Amino acid sequence: MKIGVFIPELIRHLFRTPATVDYPFKKLEVPKSFRGSPYLQPELCIVCRACERDCPAEAIEINTVKEEEKIFSLVIYNDRCIHCAQCVDSCPTKAMQMDEKFEISNFNRHNLKMDWEFVRAAVKPKAENKS
Amino acid sequence: MNFQIPIGPQHPALKEPIGLRITVEGEIIRDADIRLGYNHRGIEKLAEQKTWIQNVYLTERICGICSHSHTTCYVQGVEKLMELETPKRGLYIRMLISELERIHSHLLWLGVAGHEAGFDSFFMYVWRDREIVMDILETISGNRVHYAINTIGGVRRDLDELQVKRILDSLEVLRRRSQYYLNLGTTEPSFVARLARVGYLSREDALSLCAVGPTLRASGVPMDVRKDDPYAAYDEVPFEVCTAGTCDVLGRTVVRIKELFQSYNIIEYLMKNLPTGPIAVRAPRRAKPNEVVSRYEAPRGENLHYIKSNGSDKPERLKVRAPTLGNYAATIKMLKNGFIADVPLIFAAIDPCICCAERAVALIDARTGQEKIMSLKSLKELSLKVSPTTTRKREIEWPL
Amino acid sequence: MATVNTLIYLIIYPGLLFIFLYSTFVEWYDRKLYARLQNRMGPTHTGPSGLLQPIADFFKLMAKEDITPERADKTMFAALPPFGLAIVSTAMLLLPVWNYSLEQSSLTSFNGDIIVLLYLLSLPTFIFFLAGWSSTNLFSTIGGARVLTMLFGYEVPLFLAVLSPAVLADSWRLAEIAAFYRQQPALALVNLLGFIIALICVQAKLERTPFDIPHAETEIVGGTFTEYSGKKLAVFRLMLDVEMVVAAGLIATVFLGGFPGGPILGLINFIIKTLLVVFFLSLIRATTSRIRVDQVVSFAWKYLAPLAVLQLLIVIIVKGLIS
Ligand code: SF4
Ligand code: SF4
Repeated sequence: MKIGVFIPELIRHLFRTPATVDYPFKKLEVPKSFRGSPYLQPELCIVCRACERDCPAEAIEINTVKEEEKIFSLVIYNDRCIHCAQCVDSCPTKAMQMDEKFEISNFNRHNLKMDWEFVRAAVKPKAENKS
Repeated sequence: MNFQIPIGPQHPALKEPIGLRITVEGEIIRDADIRLGYNHRGIEKLAEQKTWIQNVYLTERICGICSHSHTTCYVQGVEKLMELETPKRGLYIRMLISELERIHSHLLWLGVAGHEAGFDSFFMYVWRDREIVMDILETISGNRVHYAINTIGGVRRDLDELQVKRILDSLEVLRRRSQYYLNLGTTEPSFVARLARVGYLSREDALSLCAVGPTLRASGVPMDVRKDDPYAAYDEVPFEVCTAGTCDVLGRTVVRIKELFQSYNIIEYLMKNLPTGPIAVRAPRRAKPNEVVSRYEAPRGENLHYIKSNGSDKPERLKVRAPTLGNYAATIKMLKNGFIADVPLIFAAIDPCICCAERAVALIDARTGQEKIMSLKSLKELSLKVSPTTTRKREIEWPL
Repeated sequence: MATVNTLIYLIIYPGLLFIFLYSTFVEWYDRKLYARLQNRMGPTHTGPSGLLQPIADFFKLMAKEDITPERADKTMFAALPPFGLAIVSTAMLLLPVWNYSLEQSSLTSFNGDIIVLLYLLSLPTFIFFLAGWSSTNLFSTIGGARVLTMLFGYEVPLFLAVLSPAVLADSWRLAEIAAFYRQQPALALVNLLGFIIALICVQAKLERTPFDIPHAETEIVGGTFTEYSGKKLAVFRLMLDVEMVVAAGLIATVFLGGFPGGPILGLINFIIKTLLVVFFLSLIRATTSRIRVDQVVSFAWKYLAPLAVLQLLIVIIVKGLIS
């Protein structure tokens, strides 16, 4: 038992700059591999629907717009997305990618929806596994 | 004069809703009663509707702090069901994250203990240093809380040289700081006065009430799943099971800080002996009908998942026994004959994770006060009776 | 002229305006210091370095909804906060800053004012007890009971510690005590033990860690203040701030030689010395964890009271030696 064992540490920090980051006024950096929100690179998507099937939050929806012209639409409901990046892992062509944004809050959850309408990519990619 | 104080479901000492009814006589607690069920989320039921791979992310959300514990426990079980051989490197990375998680959880607890005892400076300093671990976790996994590093058959992200070096470097700082907190926590008179001889739980009581984790180990029982029933590659790693003989909150604090040092050693070993090779194997989409029990030593104690498969791509049943549930009975024992002032400390000392432990469904008749426990089967029947034709709708606009 | 003077006394200095501004400043200083000791930033954005934050908090609380519990004693519940503020503001008047002359006694400085000041500082404790009791909430009631239990612990050592310098100075008048120690600064060292005891007791009186037991957030929610909201809570918080200034001022007068030098210099002296005392109070707050109410009582009677008696003995012996 010692009285005031903490005092030296406290006094030492009195003259140091605080550890707190003045966050909304000073922006923070996220590490390179940060999992932000998923986005699609439509020119690569072959509409295999793996992402739709594996998404645990059911945040991805793929619809056929015009069957004969091979036009599809892919919607990511970012409000439901749990940012797990499973869609990135599941995608065989790397059409799904994660960005590094983290300040994505919004007053209306519908504004978070992202959609793409695109022609299905023709190339059959080599089965390329991320791991 | 006896009267009852309701601590919770909403109370500043509780970070999650739980009801503690405490009968006090002056400042002395005569009886305590725990009421659960304010935060039942139906996760087990939901798991039956998701595929094996989707469930990894679901189990991760059972708990915010031991998120890796639950996925690892689940994934280990599923790997056993699917008869997969996880590569060594994958196992090592998995263990690395477990130990980092243990460090961050124990540091978090240490801070919370300080806060509950009104020692806010301690709380601030501990949490500041916890950021080091959080940052490492973020660089490795891409997120601070839900690491999502596990996948069936291995892990999802590899480590590079730079990260290994960074981890080893920060271990230095963490060791130094932990030593400082060990000294501080056991010598600052006002803090020790609050912790010592508070919440006594004898060795016999701890065993007979099935306490788990640091609560059990602080009563002098060296029980740790990592040693008793090694999973992943814990049988290759040298470490000790930390115990304390004081059986009080101070003992639980000391056990946790000692475990921090063990975790630092484990991480150092893992990083120095990191095997090369793949980090994951491909997992099939279906599992043969079978059942499995998977055990895991979470920061709070033994975590247990029971998984049953029926040959489809979804589990038939997933049962989660979170460590906190095992400690509730012991908590009541510890609370009795203590002071009101000690309630937050004693309760916090089991490191409760309340939503993780919400499993049972008890129905209480509001008019008569009668309690009724419903089985899963009768609940299913009830739900069918209430809405016989409803099927799962996908297309509905979600924010209804 | 006399009326103008009185008005200035009442409203500007050392009246309400000064009390309000200075006590909020002291709160800011305490918060900032506490934060920096913990390696945090503290208030930052309202005014320069967050100086206006306590004032902003005060006005925010004033604008909030004010709820009175159904079963509370409504008159008492509403009357207590302004009453408490009035008491501590009156106590503020007794601090000998410049509103006194050493030769003759006046309304604000007379023989025995140290006793009156101590008494006025005891009253807020009862106000807190009554506040807890009249709100009829379980947590408030426990808080109220704890306020009183603690009072039995720290009050006697506080009186002993504060009065022993008075014994040495052979006067019951604050201004004279301060003047005595200004003339013989060496004698102030005799009271070092008393100074430490007084600091600890004042910390207990102000209900700050390690003695924030009556409103220990993690145990009994808001304690005595659980049911208070809006304007009443704002007034209570202001009252606590003023009480801190008065208590710091009392310690500074008795142990640190008071505030000589007329209006301007005296004021500067006052500010420097109270801030010094508040610095010690903040340091105690940052170094310790909250103890239990039974530990307070046993600590007070096992250590503080005997030490205070020892201090008194020392003072008597020293007095015998010098006379
Ligand atoms: S990140 Fe996860 S939740 Fe979000 S869209 Fe991809 S798979 Fe679905
Ligand atoms: S984004 Fe990838 S996984 Fe999803 S449909 Fe397109 S190709 Fe398939």
